[in-house]
Amino acid sequence: MKANTISSRSGGWVMPLLEKVPFLSDSARSHGWHYVISWCHRISGVGLVVYLLIHIYTLSSLQTPAVYDGKMKLLAIPIVVFLAWLSCLPVVFHALNGGRLILYESFGSRNDETMVRWTFGLTALYAAVFGLLILLKNQNVSPFFFWLLFLLTALLAAYGVGARLWRSGHTLYWKLQRITGAFLLVAIPAHLMFSHLNPGVAHEAQAVILRMQSVFIKVVDILLAVSALYHAGYGLFSIGADYIRARSLRRLYTVAVAVVFAVFLFIALRLTVSV
Amino acid sequence: MRTNVKEKTMSQTYKLTLTIRRYDPDGDKSWDQTYELEAGAILRFVDLFRRINVEQDATLTWVSSCEHGQCGSCSVQVNGRPMLACELLVENAVALFGTTRFRIEPVTVAPVVRDLVVDWEQAYERVHRAKPYVIRPIEPPPGVTELQISPKEIARYEDATRCINCFCCATACISTHRNFIGPNAAMASVVRLMDSREEEKDERLALLYSEEGVYRCHTSKACTHVCPKKIDVAHFIALAKEGAF
Repeated sequence: MKANTISSRSGGWVMPLLEKVPFLSDSARSHGWHYVISWCHRISGVGLVVYLLIHIYTLSSLQTPAVYDGKMKLLAIPIVVFLAWLSCLPVVFHALNGGRLILYESFGSRNDETMVRWTFGLTALYAAVFGLLILLKNQNVSPFFFWLLFLLTALLAAYGVGARLWRSGHTLYWKLQRITGAFLLVAIPAHLMFSHLNPGVAHEAQAVILRMQSVFIKVVDILLAVSALYHAGYGLFSIGADYIRARSLRRLYTVAVAVVFAVFLFIALRLTVSV
Repeated sequence: MRTNVKEKTMSQTYKLTLTIRRYDPDGDKSWDQTYELEAGAILRFVDLFRRINVEQDATLTWVSSCEHGQCGSCSVQVNGRPMLACELLVENAVALFGTTRFRIEPVTVAPVVRDLVVDWEQAYERVHRAKPYVIRPIEPPPGVTELQISPKEIARYEDATRCINCFCCATACISTHRNFIGPNAAMASVVRLMDSREEEKDERLALLYSEEGVYRCHTSKACTHVCPKKIDVAHFIALAKEGAF
């Protein structure tokens, strides 16, 4: 007997393979594949929070270009390049699966099996294109043109979700989590791709500093930092709110998350403004 | 031919290994106990528990009231999946899990009283808070003595009214029951929001949009997957997230 309808309908070669993985198939049999996907979303989200904080910390060394260049030399090592490619999988999966959840929860789209197939399909497609760009290393694009295109798309997605949710009775925090999610769904995969179009684009301190001196790019970076940190912070808060039973401990946890993210927001804003 | 197939099914037996999570409140002691038994294909898991009681261990404690899938009191976890023991046939369990070894545990929605019995009153407290009834009925139009619901209207939420509060959904939920009112209680509230006879919307929305309401739901859809009544629980909770009321 198949674990559930997704496994039997979305088939292909992926699901039969997944059904052979002991822990995954057991979990899918007992709770369904959507439950497994939800855990993947949650685990990838926590991983991305760590990645985000390390990313901001690494970028903060731009204030001393020599230190930044020293760190970026690591990115020339083949295994690190492979890991950089690998990192796109949780990023894009989390983004697309988040998009699926927004469509299901806020737009009444109940064709979930199709959306799951699109989530995995587009994740694979993005990973392939991203891998190709890493291998080619020679793509050049105007930062203004690239970011104008993707910023407008991201803002449009955020506006669509915001317009849908704004008048509902949900808390502002939850609405903002969904709105930032829609924005990041476009902006983060775009950011990741832009960083790997050409090694010089993101790996040489002078090139990065020069780009960041543009007011438009500063606005883009601030929007990225604010929305990513808010989304990540709310995500962590939400996990704590699920599992921490004692009210006082939950409050303490919430304050701790807020403080850590406020500090990182300050680092990101100071860097963007000062460079 | 059909008779032969039926006879074969009826006569087929399985050698089963049931590892049951036991709990003795007197000594506050928990342990796993394994029972081996041979059982027919169409025996239910409540029948297996009964046979263990009669043939092997009279101290094994479990609960089942109606044994017709209507009261929800026999909910247990079988190999991690919350299910009604009165509806689960041996042959279906073997087919579903691909094994004859089963681990049986109590559901996690309330403290365990003994073995597979949990304190249902504590579990039901969440449903009581959701008020699964019309709190404040609308005034019927002049000259009308009863409030009627059209078949078209009730079709929108009829499925949800089949919920028996077995708490399988709450046990399976990714958010667990710690701070979440639970899928069944949330759905009970949503059903009354969809009910045209209900005038009290604010109180229900206050619960659904509270920290123990829909924010604890992450659409893992485990509730829908395990529901013995095949209710798409996630759909009803998503209606509240959508701001449909």
